[in-house]
Amino acid sequence: MAEYRTHMKIIGDILVTTRDDLQDENGASVTYLIRKANISHSRISRILKTLVSQGLLEQVDLKGSNKYKISQSGREFLQAYYTFTNFADSFGLSI
Amino acid sequence: MEFLLENILNLIGFLVGLAIGVMSFIGFRNTGSPTLFRLTIAFFSISLGFFVIWVGYMAEDLVIKSGNIEKWIQTLGIAIQTVGYFFIAFSHSIKSFSPKSRYFRSIGIFPLFLISSVQLEHIFRSISFILLAYGAIETMLSYFDNRKKGTISVAIGLALLALGEFLGWYSFLFPESILYYVSMIIKIAGLIALFIPVSKIPLTKIKFDEGLE
Repeated sequence: MAEYRTHMKIIGDILVTTRDDLQDENGASVTYLIRKANISHSRISRILKTLVSQGLLEQVDLKGSNKYKISQSGREFLQAYYTFTNFADSFGLSI
Repeated sequence: MEFLLENILNLIGFLVGLAIGVMSFIGFRNTGSPTLFRLTIAFFSISLGFFVIWVGYMAEDLVIKSGNIEKWIQTLGIAIQTVGYFFIAFSHSIKSFSPKSRYFRSIGIFPLFLISSVQLEHIFRSISFILLAYGAIETMLSYFDNRKKGTISVAIGLALLALGEFLGWYSFLFPESILYYVSMIIKIAGLIALFIPVSKIPLTKIKFDEGLE
């Protein structure tokens, strides 16, 4: 059975992909992120919009198609995310 | 002896609850996680509950000197702690009953409440026991999934707190026995076990939210 992922876990997966698993130096496309994060187009669009507005992702406009790269704030968020994932794990919970 | 043990227990409870609450709050401010928000409420409540009882004992020891702490202060403190235990159990219930969870259909029986009708304090103690036992069982189940040492430490901590609450409640039947002292020592051990994994969190590497600095 597929593992249930919280909203926070999906955000973590997207940020990890944009940090460690880029298609090229320009970033990752929406299609690529959909495949990697395994969520629908409508849902990832909302999440990406939020992450860009929060400064966690940088949006690169390339001839009409957008690509996404993790920002410095995004890297710091991921560090906190890992720390507090371990913290919540200790209580048998998921953040 | 009872005063000394109560003071140690309540002071440790206050400090451990506060430390875990602050850590949860920092996590919530940095990630916005609702789970960490619930843990923040839980541990600040637990901390406040211990603090209220501790203040009650200190006031009795230093100011009132009647030889017996006001029962309503103890009841108030235990009630506040129960709110904290509720939020721990609530977080587990959200996780267990979330859609697609494999526990979703596996939990069919809710624990039955055994409520003393004599005093409010004993009602809160029995509710706390059930919430703590539930939290301990769920945390233990999570340990079987993730096999992390910190998780087993928290599970043991919650189980010891549950046992301590049970003995504290049961000692009502034997007021002058050693049971109450044993319950306090077990609860102190439980609080220490709860704090062990939190003490290992590398706090210095976390970028603090600007609002906290």
